Amino acid sequence: MADEEPVDQKKYLEEGCKPKCVKQLRSYEACIKRIDCDESGHKHCTGQYFDYWSCVDKCVAQTLFSKLK
Amino acid sequence: MYVFTMENIGPVVWGEEKYQPFKFPPPYLWYTRHLSTCLGHKIRSGYAKLSFLSTLARRSHHAKVEGDIKKSQLEVIDNDMKLLELQERMVTLPAQGQDRLGSAYTNSLRCLALFGAGVSGLWGCSMIACSDEAEHGLAVPNYPWPHEGILSSYDHASIRRGHQVYQQVCASCHSMSLISFRDLVGVAYTEEETKAMAAEIEVVDGPNDEGEMFTRPGKLSDRFPQPYVNEQAARFANGGAYPPDLSLITKARHNGQNYVFGLLTGYRDPPAGVSIREGLHYNPYFPGGAIAMPKMLIDGAVEYEDGTPATEAQMGKDVVTFLAWAAEPEMEERKLMGFKWIFVLSLALLQAGYYRRLKWSIFKSRKLVLDVVN
Repeated sequence: MADEEPVDQKKYLEEGCKPKCVKQLRSYEACIKRIDCDESGHKHCTGQYFDYWSCVDKCVAQTLFSKLK
Repeated sequence: MYVFTMENIGPVVWGEEKYQPFKFPPPYLWYTRHLSTCLGHKIRSGYAKLSFLSTLARRSHHAKVEGDIKKSQLEVIDNDMKLLELQERMVTLPAQGQDRLGSAYTNSLRCLALFGAGVSGLWGCSMIACSDEAEHGLAVPNYPWPHEGILSSYDHASIRRGHQVYQQVCASCHSMSLISFRDLVGVAYTEEETKAMAAEIEVVDGPNDEGEMFTRPGKLSDRFPQPYVNEQAARFANGGAYPPDLSLITKARHNGQNYVFGLLTGYRDPPAGVSIREGLHYNPYFPGGAIAMPKMLIDGAVEYEDGTPATEAQMGKDVVTFLAWAAEPEMEERKLMGFKWIFVLSLALLQAGYYRRLKWSIFKSRKLVLDVVN
């Protein structure tokens, strides 16, 4: 934040929250691997994606506003 | 001689076994003693009606089941049956009393099975065919807004920055046709600053003495300028999608403030297996996932007057505070009024309660004396 380019606080906190949501991330990656094989076009990993990002959002929301002016 | 006071008048009020030892009344009668018998009567009659309805339902169900059985027997007779079987059936009719009960049981079991099948079918369909999550959008987290508390005001510096973001980033597509320049005075800018800001825009004004429309520089009383002439022009310029007016957007969306912040800062790569067509962008918070608006908040897009680093999250917070103010400018006054009047009415409640108890003390301490005449 003292650099030329101010670092976006939300992205920074999301990186920091990733280790807390490893279970959902692994589940999402497993889903990607599963649907990689069949290409019918109807399979998607929205559920696991939502679970992962819901976890990250909750973690970020606790501290984000304390970092903003 | 039997003295009735508020303590032992209980069993008489219930209308049940008068001289039984004291029993704690069932839940639906708990309040009959304390709230004089008005509410108690109502509770009792309501309960009686409910039990009557339930017995009615039970009786009608039994009648329907018996009717079904009789109908099926008639159908069997109508079909070409051998006379012998027919006679056999007529002979065994009276002896089917127990069978009747059995059929009633299997009938209701069949109904329950059908219902269960229907429910599980619907549930299964929702899991497979209709992707419910994307339909409703990812739920936004709740952020601790500084103006959230019961006596908290807006961060007016944030409103000022947010207006700057709106003007430079959003106003090219989104109108705010319910806000006037004069609303900003005393909230985000001084009168001179606002006048200068208004004078920068050109406004079309009513017919002059020659009957012609003319343009003039803006005044405080003018509304915020609209980017498009009408909705059709807005749709045409944005691939068929209408950029909504933002005057009330935080009230017009469920959990509006958090939703708008999440939406603006939530542009991400779509999940595996989801492809968005050309012209739309993926945003998990938007219902359906595919939004026409591209990501607008980029780090450094705006240079804040007060020198705050303009990161995506900072701009998002400021613009949402500005939009929250625009939708609810009365919030601060409302909270102050609310606090004042809740306090005053609580005092009034205490005074009224004391006065009522004072006047009723005569009746609450009354004693009736019942004397037997021999």
